[in-house]
Amino acid sequence: MPPEPALPLLARAPGEVVCRRGTRPVTRGQFLAEAMALAARLPEHGHVMNLCGDRYRTLLAFAAALLRGQVTLLCADRSPHRLRALAGLYPDAYAIVDQEIEAPLPVLRLEEVEGVRDGDAAMPAIPAGRIAAIAFTSGSTGEPTAHAKPWGALVTAAEAAARRFRLRAQDGPPATIIATVPPQHMYGFETTIMLPLQSAVACLAGETFYPSDVFEAMASVPGRRILVTTPLQLRALFAAGQAPPALEAVISATAPLAASLAASVEQGWGVPVLEIYGATEAGSIASRRTTEGDGWLPYDGTELRPGAVAVPGLGEIPLADAVEPLADGRFRLLGRRADVVKLGGRRASLAELNRLLAEVEGVEDGVFVAPEDLESNPAARLTAYVVAPGRSAEEILGALRERMDPIFLPRPVVMVRALPRDRLGKLPRSALAELRRAGAGG
Amino acid sequence: MAEMRPEEMEVARLIVSALSLETRPEDIAPEAPLFNAGLGLDSIDALELALAISKKYGVQLRSDDERNHRIFASLRSLTAHIEKNRVR
Repeated sequence: MPPEPALPLLARAPGEVVCRRGTRPVTRGQFLAEAMALAARLPEHGHVMNLCGDRYRTLLAFAAALLRGQVTLLCADRSPHRLRALAGLYPDAYAIVDQEIEAPLPVLRLEEVEGVRDGDAAMPAIPAGRIAAIAFTSGSTGEPTAHAKPWGALVTAAEAAARRFRLRAQDGPPATIIATVPPQHMYGFETTIMLPLQSAVACLAGETFYPSDVFEAMASVPGRRILVTTPLQLRALFAAGQAPPALEAVISATAPLAASLAASVEQGWGVPVLEIYGATEAGSIASRRTTEGDGWLPYDGTELRPGAVAVPGLGEIPLADAVEPLADGRFRLLGRRADVVKLGGRRASLAELNRLLAEVEGVEDGVFVAPEDLESNPAARLTAYVVAPGRSAEEILGALRERMDPIFLPRPVVMVRALPRDRLGKLPRSALAELRRAGAGG
Repeated sequence: MAEMRPEEMEVARLIVSALSLETRPEDIAPEAPLFNAGLGLDSIDALELALAISKKYGVQLRSDDERNHRIFASLRSLTAHIEKNRVR
């Protein structure tokens, strides 16, 4: 049998910057030395739940786990019920953390790797077929669904993204990514963990959540700057009314970006606004420049098929969206399957949420409803109509809080005497809107 | 229920209008947590609220502010932070 192909941990030249910790650049050699030192300190075996807050430490812990042959669990949702569910699914798992966190599993607290010098260690290679990370979907049921990511698939996706966004060494001076998305979310993982390992990009460590953080972070880095963000964050940043330093590109994902916002940002900031389309299961698979139309160009090597996408290293992955192929090799998104809702970068199925609601003690009937503007209006949330004689909206909310991702908690819970089900047991939208008006009145 | 000061009432109104909450401003308990239990705000709300606060009071919230947890702990602590740092 021929030896299994292996790909280097870092496809970077010596001396290149992998990450910027504030104003301090971490070079390839320094990073590799620190990752090897940390790898030697890890427990003998187990899945690694990477719960680091700092982006550099997240990157370091991922690389160290990979060097030790351990699989990283990517968990962006840190609610206690989600951590418990994952700890139950992976009884051998331990967590790597860099701050105080209540976790229902053994914890390794990451300290600064001191006294490690940029050495001349040979670049380790990781077998392409080895599972490097596992990402999870469906935050609503408490039962996470695992999506395994072989190292080869992650590297190939990073190469495709680097080609698409001109982030290869031959494309120009090295760039720095300033990101507002957590590195444990698939989009954040691909852009701020995989790109620094595999393309001519450094990620900026440190917290960048509020607009003032992000503007300061953008001003703090030299050279080509790329902002990696989401529609809601971009909207808040643009509304803050400050001008950022010169940017090479703004990249947005997790929800469709309004063409009007993209046009305003392009004009106001003088920067191209690009979007990535992807999903946790498949990773990033296509991109577009929002102002140029609604056609998405698939990444090199990915292939759209009816109801699915073929991704190098992963095979055929079903898609949650209906898509329509266009003549020029691009495709158009026709919308989500009616049952799927998305909020804060996380997906849930309304049917599953309804099932959770039905399991609450005292609930006789109930339904979750998503407003039309759920993905574009930051104040929009799901509504639940509930029939539960003798129980209050607060009690229902309290019971739901224990069993679902808080982002999908209904706001409001509307208590009603009965749901306006038709003869088939279905709930017409218009009848629900009527209920809402009646509920708001009294 | 703890008494609400006029300044707290003003911030309560801002929270309710910025986030389109169904709660009435006077029903927000001044010392109850704004996130998780209590009002049950989430990270999207935090961003939206930060934007509304910076527009109205000129106060910029920051992640690396170590007091961030305490600032957002309750209506009372948030109001105190705004009063101390407001520029308009």
